[in-house]
Amino acid sequence: MSDLFDHLFEEDDEEVEIVDSRQSTVDSQSTVDGNLSTPLSTVDCELSTSRRILSVTDLTVRVRDLLEAELFEVWVEGELSNCRVWNTGHLYFTLKDSSSQLRGFMFRSALRYLKFKPTDGTRVVARGKISVYEPKGEYQLVCEHLEPQGLGALQLAFDQLKTRLQAEGLFDAARKRALPALPRKIGVVTSLDGAAIRDIIKVLRSRYANVHLVIRPARVQGEGAAIEIAQAMRQIGRVPAVDVVIVGRGGGSIEDLWAFNEEIVARAIARSPVPVISAVGHETDVTIASFVADVRAATPSAAAELVVSRKDEFGAQIDRLRDRLRASARARVQRLSRRVHVADSRPAFAGVPGRVAMRGRHAAELTHTLARLVRADVAIHDRRLQHLERQLATYDAGRRLAAIGTRLVAAEGRMRGAAARRHDRARAQFQRAAGRLETLSPLAVLGRGYAVAWTADKTRVLRDASAVEPGEMVNVRLARGELECEVRTRTLSTTEDTEGQT
Amino acid sequence: MDTSIKDFEAAIAELETIVKKLEEGDLPLEQSLALYERGVQLSRFCHARLEEAERRIEILNERGELKTAPASLSDQHDR
Repeated sequence: MSDLFDHLFEEDDEEVEIVDSRQSTVDSQSTVDGNLSTPLSTVDCELSTSRRILSVTDLTVRVRDLLEAELFEVWVEGELSNCRVWNTGHLYFTLKDSSSQLRGFMFRSALRYLKFKPTDGTRVVARGKISVYEPKGEYQLVCEHLEPQGLGALQLAFDQLKTRLQAEGLFDAARKRALPALPRKIGVVTSLDGAAIRDIIKVLRSRYANVHLVIRPARVQGEGAAIEIAQAMRQIGRVPAVDVVIVGRGGGSIEDLWAFNEEIVARAIARSPVPVISAVGHETDVTIASFVADVRAATPSAAAELVVSRKDEFGAQIDRLRDRLRASARARVQRLSRRVHVADSRPAFAGVPGRVAMRGRHAAELTHTLARLVRADVAIHDRRLQHLERQLATYDAGRRLAAIGTRLVAAEGRMRGAAARRHDRARAQFQRAAGRLETLSPLAVLGRGYAVAWTADKTRVLRDASAVEPGEMVNVRLARGELECEVRTRTLSTTEDTEGQT
Repeated sequence: MDTSIKDFEAAIAELETIVKKLEEGDLPLEQSLALYERGVQLSRFCHARLEEAERRIEILNERGELKTAPASLSDQHDR
């Protein structure tokens, strides 16, 4: 407040000129005669005892000093009339009641802090100082603050309720619930006639979001609005599958938003069985409801954005996971088919032992299954794409084409282009691989440390130690590379023992 | 839907774990196959949940009855 005062005094000179400039238009408003009578009489008494004769200017200055010293901060209530904002941005007005009137003005610098637009006929409470405009001998109210009558009481009620609910812990961060990842139905408590519901629907439509709204209409201003909102909150929280509620309204004056500062609304929000998003007015509007709500959205549109963008994020996350899932399956398929190729390139392995062949069949079966799954997965994606296309067809293409076109192209590129083509390739490669898996490479077994021993001329696989004599050379194939070995001793009792060394 | 999937959030978490495991490799073929199958099932579930919501607007009246919203409300931005 003291800042405001300083500012006012600094601007005093400017003010004189301004008042001067309006003289011609508002001369008839002059109130010099009647209203100065009381302070003058006091001055008169002092003068008569001292017998000093003053100039008009001296007297006027004296009056001004007396008034400014005595009435440097007054609160006065009355009805605004003759409100006029001069081209300098300062406001001129007359404040009146049934029997008197008071001229007043307000600097532009103070005017811009007002939360309402002063208009004729508004009952207001004004705060300021009384000053005198010397050239006209007029006194006037230099107004520093104006508020609609009753607003002071509202502000007080707001502060008291806020303090009380805060003390109860209703605003505690620990009470705030997380929004559901994917609301099944979104409850909305607001007026059907207001801007809020239109804004919410507009955002959801522009974002092409398939969400299910359940609106519980409630009057959001005027007598009884708070009770309606509270009832609506109680009701909507009980609707099955509604797992988040947006409560709010569009912008308005502080009185218009007042229902959201009522205790009954605050408590209904606090008791809601599902998380509540408050969306009252504009960014700068602060209500008790927004303190109690689990999440405060700056506007109803922002609340809708919040719900939709979370959904988009999850969609993208799942797409990424799905891509990675496929990539890992593809990598697996490729590893398998590499083995098959290796086996193919070694025709000498035709007569592999039975166990290895069994493993080969098993692996082939599994690989087939994997291929089938990947195929089915791709088919599902194709169906999704078709579904999207059908959806597109049911919407007004002209209007939405830009938005959905981007999405569809992305979806198509992702699903059909990248996934399907890649998978077709993988599948074909895979089927070839699977077909050859009947002769699965024993290298898989060799990889685990087994070795295959051959006669030195590599014509026969050794299954019996009796097939070679000590001193003979044998060939041992490992997972990587081969060894030429000389047999030192044989142990004929076991069937498949082969000893050797380099 | 699949009763072994608790909810959307749980499904995403499980899918994430599966993908990580598969990407690390080293698993026997049978196990990767089972994981892959489960992963596909989970991602299908998630997609279905994302898309299952109807684009729909209903009005809840004072008696707790749900009615489809008047076309004027849902169509007002189409023109």
